Amino acid sequence: MPREAEPSINERAFILEALQENIRLDGRPLDAFRELHIAFGEEYGVADVQLGKTRVLCRISASIASPYPDRKFDGIFTITTELSPLASPAFEVGRQSDLETHLSRVLETTLRRSQALSTESLCLIAGQKVWSLRADIHILSHFGNLIDTSCIAALAALRHCRIPDTSIKGGVLIVYTPLERDPVPLALLHHPLCITLNYFESGEKMLVDATLQEQQCSEGEIVVSANPQGEVCLVQKGGGGEVDALVLLRGIGLAVGKVREVGKVIDRVLEEDAKRRDKGGVVSRELRAENER
Amino acid sequence: MADVTLSPLHRADGSATFTSNGYSVVAAVNGPIEVQRRDELPEEAAIDVAIRPAAGVGGVRERHLESILQSTLRHVILVSAHPRTLIQVTLQIISSTEGSFNVGDLPQATSNLPILPALLQASILALLSTSIPLSMTLTATLVAVDGQRLKSDPSAEELKVASSIHVFAFSSHGNLLVVESEGEFGIETWEEAYQNARLACRGDEENDSESEDVSMDSDNDTKLEDVLRIAVRQKVAREQKWKLDLRSATT
Repeated sequence: MPREAEPSINERAFILEALQENIRLDGRPLDAFRELHIAFGEEYGVADVQLGKTRVLCRISASIASPYPDRKFDGIFTITTELSPLASPAFEVGRQSDLETHLSRVLETTLRRSQALSTESLCLIAGQKVWSLRADIHILSHFGNLIDTSCIAALAALRHCRIPDTSIKGGVLIVYTPLERDPVPLALLHHPLCITLNYFESGEKMLVDATLQEQQCSEGEIVVSANPQGEVCLVQKGGGGEVDALVLLRGIGLAVGKVREVGKVIDRVLEEDAKRRDKGGVVSRELRAENER
Repeated sequence: MADVTLSPLHRADGSATFTSNGYSVVAAVNGPIEVQRRDELPEEAAIDVAIRPAAGVGGVRERHLESILQSTLRHVILVSAHPRTLIQVTLQIISSTEGSFNVGDLPQATSNLPILPALLQASILALLSTSIPLSMTLTATLVAVDGQRLKSDPSAEELKVASSIHVFAFSSHGNLLVVESEGEFGIETWEEAYQNARLACRGDEENDSESEDVSMDSDNDTKLEDVLRIAVRQKVAREQKWKLDLRSATT
């Protein structure tokens, strides 16, 4: 397999020198995201996110399974990421790279360990039947900042997802088709997002949403997961270069601001999608599963 | 009708999306690239096909489809042009008619043929987008038989009640390239399905040969070969645009 091409010495010098003058190759300010596009399909729970040329598709699927014996009241929620040659020729089929491990760990902590999705709400019959929810993250094009893009895709898909409504009558579990009852949204407790900051000059310069080349030139990266309320779920520093503790604090502040910004974009897109789906009229209002609260 | 996008992905050497009949597939081709020593063939290019399902990880079903695709593409690609290299075809299923929230049916119970035409079409489009030398192109379609009625491009419900389903792929020379059938049927039914599929893929060949120019405009029942041709024509037009711009700028 071909290796990921490293930037040449000239390219590296050019990028670093431009950064000293606070200029990025694509002309963005240091703390700006690339253009963010979020598209939903006809189905529920599929989000196609494009951040510049980076593209990630997330699909939520669900089936009914029996819970783990030690966690009788909790549903199952798994996140899978697999890097394929679609994203870059450097990725091999069926072999896990370091990047992939890193990516799945960060997503796992951000979305699962932070209890963003209440697994208890996925319980149908305690100890017997639970929803097994699965988020498949397909990375289609890798142009840097996979972590943030994947997290946006996963969260957008989770927020967009609707699972079939169920009821229990006399110990019998009934799963309703979309024709019988409108599917219900997932119980999300908060909406955390990841922001990756690539630092240069021991944290003097921090880049938000670095491109692949900028990532390759950077001294290291700080991943911050937080929700729009400003609660931090994860801080991770990798890459080896040392940074001052105050830089880390500044980074977290910067990241929380970005989380709010991206969160607003997701809110807006979801609202537009809901408007598009809303057929209007009294019947659809009466059939709606969610209430005004 | 089929919806085609050429080169939607930026990192792969060539890519294409193909959406038809509820199935959507994105294909990427990398090649010719370095091949692992154990896969290397001294006289021809090795072809590696990987299919990734929309949800979950690939299993027996994907391996089976991969083997069909691999043996087909081996004859379509001019493998002898690139000895000791690898041509890597990766197909990602974006959506299928099965849906994400199955609670009743076991996944094993569903047939694995209905997605095959979309996979074949997506891979040939991706190969065209990569400009890999090919000996021919192909078009593929699905026919379902329910008793006496034939139905091309059947829906999920029609597939459930069908007594047999058939996948046909034709080369651009008009030869039958792939045929996979499932269910109970007689030879007459198969013949009928074959004629039906041929019409969908290649159009009315007898009429076409007489009036080539007229059929391009008047044919409202588009055949699959035209879908392919139009997609490639648009790609070429887009890529050659700078030339036209340059010419109009100089005059």
